[in-house]
Amino acid sequence: MSDQHILSINNLQKLYGETHVLKDINIAMDKGEFLVLVGPSGCGKSTLLSCISGLTEISSGSIHIAGKDRTHCEPADRDIAMVFQSYALFPNMSVERNIGFGLEVRKVPEAIRKQKVAEVAELLKIGHLLHRRPAELSGGQRQRVAMGRALVRDPALFLFDEPLSNLDAKLRVTMRTEIKRIHQTTGASIVYVTHDQIEAMTLATRIVVLRDGIIQQIGTPQEIYNTPVNAFVADFMGSPSMNLMRGTAVRQDGKIRLSIPTPGGSVLELEDMRTDSSAISEEKRDILIGLRPEAMTDTLSGSRDPGQIADCILDVVEPAGADTYAVINLGGTETIARLSADANVQAGQTVPIRFDLSKVSYFDVDSGARL
Amino acid sequence: MLGRRQLREKWFLLAPAMAVLALITLMPLANTFWLSFTDTRISALPTPTHFIGLENYIYALTDPDFQDALFRTLYFTVVSVGLEGVIGVAIAVLLNQQFKGRTLLRALIILPWAVPTIVNAVAWRLIYHPDYGALNSMLYQLGFISDYRSWIGDPMTAMHMVILADMWKNFPLVAYVALAALQTVPGDLLKAAAVEGASPWKRFWSITLPWIAGPLMVVMVLRTIEAFRVFDIVYVMTGGGPADSTKTASFYVYQEYFNYLRSGSGASYAVLVAGISAVMILGYYAAARRQSQGGAA
Amino acid sequence: MRRSLLQSVLLYACVVLVALFTAGPLLWLVTMSISAPTDLTEVPLRWIPSEVDFSRYQTLLDLNDGSGERFLSALRNSILTAGGATLLALLLAVPAAYSFSRRNASMVLLFAFLATIMMPPITYILPLYSTFSSLGMLNKTLTLIVVYTAMLLPFATWLMKSNIDVLPIEVEQAAFMEGASTAYTIREVVLPLALPAIAATAMLSFLVAWDEFFYALIFTNDLSAKTLPVAIADFSAGRVTDYGVIATVGVMATLPPAILAICFQKFIVSGLVAGSVKG
Repeated sequence: MSDQHILSINNLQKLYGETHVLKDINIAMDKGEFLVLVGPSGCGKSTLLSCISGLTEISSGSIHIAGKDRTHCEPADRDIAMVFQSYALFPNMSVERNIGFGLEVRKVPEAIRKQKVAEVAELLKIGHLLHRRPAELSGGQRQRVAMGRALVRDPALFLFDEPLSNLDAKLRVTMRTEIKRIHQTTGASIVYVTHDQIEAMTLATRIVVLRDGIIQQIGTPQEIYNTPVNAFVADFMGSPSMNLMRGTAVRQDGKIRLSIPTPGGSVLELEDMRTDSSAISEEKRDILIGLRPEAMTDTLSGSRDPGQIADCILDVVEPAGADTYAVINLGGTETIARLSADANVQAGQTVPIRFDLSKVSYFDVDSGARL
Repeated sequence: MLGRRQLREKWFLLAPAMAVLALITLMPLANTFWLSFTDTRISALPTPTHFIGLENYIYALTDPDFQDALFRTLYFTVVSVGLEGVIGVAIAVLLNQQFKGRTLLRALIILPWAVPTIVNAVAWRLIYHPDYGALNSMLYQLGFISDYRSWIGDPMTAMHMVILADMWKNFPLVAYVALAALQTVPGDLLKAAAVEGASPWKRFWSITLPWIAGPLMVVMVLRTIEAFRVFDIVYVMTGGGPADSTKTASFYVYQEYFNYLRSGSGASYAVLVAGISAVMILGYYAAARRQSQGGAA
Repeated sequence: MRRSLLQSVLLYACVVLVALFTAGPLLWLVTMSISAPTDLTEVPLRWIPSEVDFSRYQTLLDLNDGSGERFLSALRNSILTAGGATLLALLLAVPAAYSFSRRNASMVLLFAFLATIMMPPITYILPLYSTFSSLGMLNKTLTLIVVYTAMLLPFATWLMKSNIDVLPIEVEQAAFMEGASTAYTIREVVLPLALPAIAATAMLSFLVAWDEFFYALIFTNDLSAKTLPVAIADFSAGRVTDYGVIATVGVMATLPPAILAICFQKFIVSGLVAGSVKG
C-alpha cells in the first residue's frame, strides 16, 4: 500500500532521553502533494522533518519514501533534497558549484551538470548570478540558489525547513508565490515546515497541524479552516484567529439556540438552524462557539445571507486597510469582528452586528474537541 | 543528530591521532612506570634487570637531594608564576588605558613570547655575565653596585636570576589573557562605582580583579604546570649549578638518566614528578571547567 | 574621565618603563650582534657600538665557514622538523577535531589528549630514547618530526575543535543531504570555512616546535639532525671568545618567530588566549 504514496510514515516515535518529542506520527502523502507541517514552536515539526531527512534517527516506526523503506537510510540515500532555514549555501563556492554540488558528488559529467544547472537557474531566474559567491547575493537570491540546489537533482521528495523565515515581509510574499509557481510547474512533492499559518494556508494542498509532538489534524486548507477538529486548531489557523466564545446551547425543535453572555449582563441570543441539532448531545449544555471574524460583520457588508443581527458594543476599532477589525467582548473573551473598511464606527459605539452561523463550529469546553 | 555511519566515523576520524599519542606518550608512560620498579641501567652491554618492588621509591622519598630539587622547583614555580601574574595584570591594566602608542606597546609585548626559550636563556646569560654583562655594567654605571658581581655564579642569587629570565619570557601570555578579560569588564559597572565614590584602587580590587579572576586563574594554573617542568633555561643558564642551587626536578631526573645512567631509579623520580604534575593538571581542568560554566563573573 | 597632569606623567612613565623592560633585552641582543668584539669586552660597557659590524651575519650565512655550516644546517633541520611536524599534526588534528566537534566524541578523551602534553617530557623520554635507539632512529629529523607531531597534536586538535564548533552545522548537513561523504565534506566544505583557524593553528604549532629543546637535545647529536635550539646551546657552551656570535645566532633564531608574531599578532593572540583559557 505504501507504494502509491511518495511518503508514508507509520507509527513514528521520537524520544530524546525521557522526552517524547514525536508521538505516534502517521502520514501518507501522495505524489505531487504540497504537504505543510505547521504548529507553534516546540511542537516537533522541525524534528519530524529532520527525521524524514535522515539527519535525525527515529526511535521507532518506519518511513517509506517513493515506495522504499528508508527508515535507516543515510540522508543521501533517501532520494530527497532539502532547503534549509539558513539556506546552508557553501560560502566558498560559486552559485553554479553550489547548485551542482549534488551532481558533482555523484560524479555526473561536467557537460551534463552544466546544462542541468543552467536549466534550473533559468527556472529560478538566477542565470545571471552563476559565477557569484553566496556572500554577494541578496536574501531572496540565496533562497533561490538553495532551491536550485534541491531542484537540480530531481529527487522524489523535497523538504523545506522554514525557508522564508529569514526574509523580510515583502520578499516573503514574493518568494511564497515563487515556491507555489515552482510546485505547479514541476509537480514536485514537497514537505514544508513553517510556523506561519498564512504560509500554510496559501501553499499547502494538505496541512498537518502539530502540537506537543501529536498530529492534531490533517486536511486540505479548507477543511482545516472550516472544520477544525478542536479548539487548538481553530485558534491556531486563520488570521485573525477564530473567535471562541463561551455560551450555552439549547436543543429546540431541531434547531440550536445559543446564548452568549456579554459584559453588560445581557445575553446575546442566536439561532443555528443548519447544524444537525444532534451535535448537542444534551438538551442544554455549556459549549465553545467558534465563529470566524468574517462571520461577524456590519450590516453594510453586502452578504447574501441575511444572518442574524444583534447590537454589540465595540471595545476597540482597528482599521486595517481593506477591512476594519472591531473588538467586541462576548462570551468571556475578546472576539474580533471583520467590518467593511467603509464602516464609519468608533470605539465605544453600539453597532448592529450581523452574525452568520452557516460555518459555526462547536467545541467541548473542557477537552476542546469538536462536537 | 547522529546516524549510524556517523557514529562509526567518530572513531575512524580519531584513530590516527589516538595511535600517535598512544605510541609517543601512553606507551612510554606505562614503560616508565614499569621501569621504576626495576633496577635497570643504561649500558652498552645487555645487563640483567630485576624487579625490585618499591625499593626505588623508598630511596627516592628519603633522598634529601631529590627533596631539595623538588622544593627548588616549587620555589621557582611559585615565585616565577606569581611575578608573571602580578606584572602581567599590571601591564594589562596599563595596556587597557588610553594613551598614545598603545597599539605599538600592545604589539611590542608579544616579542618576549616569540623569543625561543633557548635564545632567552642565552641572552640573559650574556646579560648576567660576571665580567662583560649588561646587568653589571648598568647597575655599576647607575651607582647601585660598586663592584661587578657574578649573578649566576653565586648560589644566593642564581635561582632568582633564572626566575627573572623566565618571567621576562612568559609574562606576555598572562598579560594578553588579563587584557582580554579586562576588555569585558562592563564600563557602566566601573562608572557606577566611581559615582558611588569608590577610589580607583578600591574599584580595581572590588570590581575589576574579581571580574578577571576566572580567566586569570586558568592561565596561571596552566603556567604553573609549565613552570613545574622547567628544564631548558636551567640547562643553558646554569647547568643546575652553582652548588646545585638551580637544580630542578626535571634536571635531577635528566642527570639520573643520562649522567648516572640509572634508568630504574630515574624512572621512579620521573613517576613522582609526573604524579605531582597530574594533580596540577586536574586542578587546571577544575579551574577551566568552573571558568567555562561560571562565565566571566 | 580626564587625567590630571600628574596622572599623565605617571602613566607615560609606566609606558616607557614597560617598553624598556620588554624591548631592552632584545635591543641589547641586537646591539651585541653588530658591535665590534672589543666593544663587548669593555668595562664598563660601551652601550653604543663604536662601529656597526655585520660581519658575524655574513659568517653565519656562509656554508664554508665552520660556524656558518653549524648554523645553516641547524636552521635547515629546524625548518624541516617544525614544518614537517606542523603539517603532520594538522593532518591528524583536523579529523580528530571534527570528531570531537561533530561526532560527539567524548570531552574526557580530549582532556586526556591535552593531559599528555602537560606532563613533563622526562616522563616519556627514557622509553622513547631506548626505542628509537634500538630501531636505529636516533639523530634523525624524521624521529623528531614524529615526536613533535605527538607534542603538537593535542593543542592543535583543541584549537581546531573550538573553531569548528562555531561553524554553521547546517552547511555540513546540506553537503550530507547532497550525498557528499564525510571526507569530501571536510575537504570541500569545512576546511575552506576553517582556513583562518587552520592558519592560526599552524602558526602556533610551528612556533612551539621551533622552540622545543629537550627532545632535540636527547635525540640528536650532530649536524644532520640538530635543531637551532640545540645548536645555540652548543654555541653558548662552547669556547666562543666573541659573545657577539652567540648574540647573532640568537637574533637569527628569533627572527622567524618574531616576524610571524608581529605580522599575525591578532591571530596568534586570540589563539593563545582561547587556547589557554577556554576549558
